[in-house]
Amino acid sequence: MRKPAYQGKTMGLQKRSSWVFAAAILMLLVATFAALAIGPARMSPGKVVDYLFSGRTAGDPLSVVFWTIRLPRVILALLVGAALALAGACLQGLLLNPLADPYVTGVSSGAALGATIAIFVKLPDIPWLTVFAVVGGLVTLFTVYGIATRRGQMNIYRLLLAGVTLSYLFFSVQAVLMIRSGGDVHRVIYWLLGSFSGRGWNEVEVALVILPLLVVPFFFSNELDILLQGEGRALELGVEVERVKRILFVVAALLTAVSVSVSGIIGFVGLVVPHLARLTLGPGHRRMLTLSLLLGSTVMVLSDLIARTAFAPSEIPVGVVTVFFGAPFFIYMLRRRPG
Amino acid sequence: MPLIELDRITFSYDDTPAINGLSLSVGEGDFLGIVGPNGSGKSTLLKLIDGLLAPDQGSSLISGRPADQYGRRELARKLAIVPQSYTLDFDFTARQVVEMGRYCRKGEPGRAVVNELLERMGVEALAGRPFNELSGGEKQMFVLAQALAQQPEVLLLDEPASHLDVSHQLALFDMLVELNSEGLTVVCVLHDLNLALLYFKRMAMLSEGGLFVEGAPEEVLSPEMIASVYGVQAYMHKHAGRTFLTFSPRRRPARKLRVHLICGGGTGASLMRRLLDLGYRVSAGVVNAMDTDEVTGRELGLPLAAEAPFTTITDSAHRENMALARAADVIVLTAMPVGAGNFKNVVAVRQAAESGKQVLALSGVEERDFTQGAAAELSGAPGLRYVASDDEVVEGLEEIWESSSLLPAE
Repeated sequence: MRKPAYQGKTMGLQKRSSWVFAAAILMLLVATFAALAIGPARMSPGKVVDYLFSGRTAGDPLSVVFWTIRLPRVILALLVGAALALAGACLQGLLLNPLADPYVTGVSSGAALGATIAIFVKLPDIPWLTVFAVVGGLVTLFTVYGIATRRGQMNIYRLLLAGVTLSYLFFSVQAVLMIRSGGDVHRVIYWLLGSFSGRGWNEVEVALVILPLLVVPFFFSNELDILLQGEGRALELGVEVERVKRILFVVAALLTAVSVSVSGIIGFVGLVVPHLARLTLGPGHRRMLTLSLLLGSTVMVLSDLIARTAFAPSEIPVGVVTVFFGAPFFIYMLRRRPG
Repeated sequence: MPLIELDRITFSYDDTPAINGLSLSVGEGDFLGIVGPNGSGKSTLLKLIDGLLAPDQGSSLISGRPADQYGRRELARKLAIVPQSYTLDFDFTARQVVEMGRYCRKGEPGRAVVNELLERMGVEALAGRPFNELSGGEKQMFVLAQALAQQPEVLLLDEPASHLDVSHQLALFDMLVELNSEGLTVVCVLHDLNLALLYFKRMAMLSEGGLFVEGAPEEVLSPEMIASVYGVQAYMHKHAGRTFLTFSPRRRPARKLRVHLICGGGTGASLMRRLLDLGYRVSAGVVNAMDTDEVTGRELGLPLAAEAPFTTITDSAHRENMALARAADVIVLTAMPVGAGNFKNVVAVRQAAESGKQVLALSGVEERDFTQGAAAELSGAPGLRYVASDDEVVEGLEEIWESSSLLPAE
């Protein structure tokens, strides 16, 4: 019996995606391993495995470095990378706009303002900087949400415009604070550019909130697919559009706020990674979200590795690294895929 | 209990009223076509039925329950809609597009349903292709398949054929007829009134947000209804077993000139329509009943002098003909074959010419004359001018119209 054409095609995508996922997982493992092994204190791969399984050994300084500095930093990069990529993927789907990234909601600017205030009033970083950033992000989230919602319906364009407007507003407040803060300006700037430098288990504890949030979008992969036809058509096909938008918008904003609060503003991961995933496996969200998550973590761990080793012993902000590699790549993609 | 029951619904977009107190009921197995001018509320009506819009006043019941008391998923299992336009900016395959229609049937087996649908619509070979690489007609078939994958009780369509070529149009409507015969209720908004006449059991015509008339297609789409709702002159024809409509141009310059065609055997039909569309007042005679010229003249509502079928023109018909000729400003003799039966028509031309009427006659009378006497009858008739074609008839009439003697005094 002749096989219908579509089956061949579907099988092709399935087979291809197994290969892609295998490769992505392998890349993630290799990147993680490399990030754990490479640094000012170099460790052999065998040592890394050894340290991981034997736990922290008080007498061994390398073990202390591994457990107090390197491991939490890598875990944080994994979490933040996945969070930003997934938030970007959700927002691009919801906004039907390939230029959306986690920062369009204004949540990151709110978090940045919160952090700047914490630095300005000279509160200790732990826990206050993180707390202020999360609070700033959440306040922004609810403000934007309130502006965009009318008669129970959330208008996605009003949301975008409100987010962008609030970002500008917050930035100007922040600029005033920075000018008046004197010596702390470089700390603020460094923080704004995004970095995992000096982050430890305290930040990891905060960032663990990301884990349950990462699961949520996967429950809505069918709805996200259908929403790519527009909100009207999604309603016609039976999707409770308002509920889905509300949940996913809040999840994406929370992922962003938590990420920004522990690592500052790291650009381009949330924009480019979902594109890359879509180009590789098509727009179907079940596959696209999974791949975004894996790629987001990989990219972030590698970027952080570059950030701390490229000009060792001094570090560059990881946000600089992601933009440095992300921008040319994105322009390449724009040229390759017109329209 | 009707499937859909709209009761005195009112709806406005902000301050612009779109639907004014409209009531409509759709029963199980109905095959209802909805027509109406642009802006008469057709698309809004579908959105109100599908609960995408909530009425300001009045009630919309689906199987006896208010539409807004349904969950979206539940409603999608009852009603499916084929939208007026459908765009997708992402690279899904055509099959994936259809599968999205199964969303409201979550938990039910879907693969077999989709396969059966694709096969039935004859598009399974295209299903693996990227949706956006398909032609407009193919896309529309897949959007229809997406709606049918919902396995709805009612299918609502919003101008589904407007972007389709004739073959896809017919394929689509044939499919709808077939589905309807299997029990699917179909409500379809469309612009093409002839497609509506061809396919629908029942029609509703909207005007300014209200139901203007509802009933059998030939009643709803009568020239009178069309004139009052669309403001367009329409004619209903029955030909080759079909009923169809034709329309006159919207701008009909007033030509108060009255033209009487002496014709028969289909030689006058196209001139009748052409002169009418140009704004002349037209009459014709003597034509035999059932002859093409007589049928056309009757469908166009012209004053006619008619004779029984295949019958020699009687004196009374001739007198009627002469009365119409006298009332006219210009007489036109078409390329009518002349035989013993209609020789009186030639006599009528001569008499009219002698009474001072201007006459335009198609040349070549001898070749069409089976009596050998027509040319002689016409020779020397005053005011008779020969022209070579229908085009020259029109030109000649325009000249006469423009010559001042016939311009109305007022």
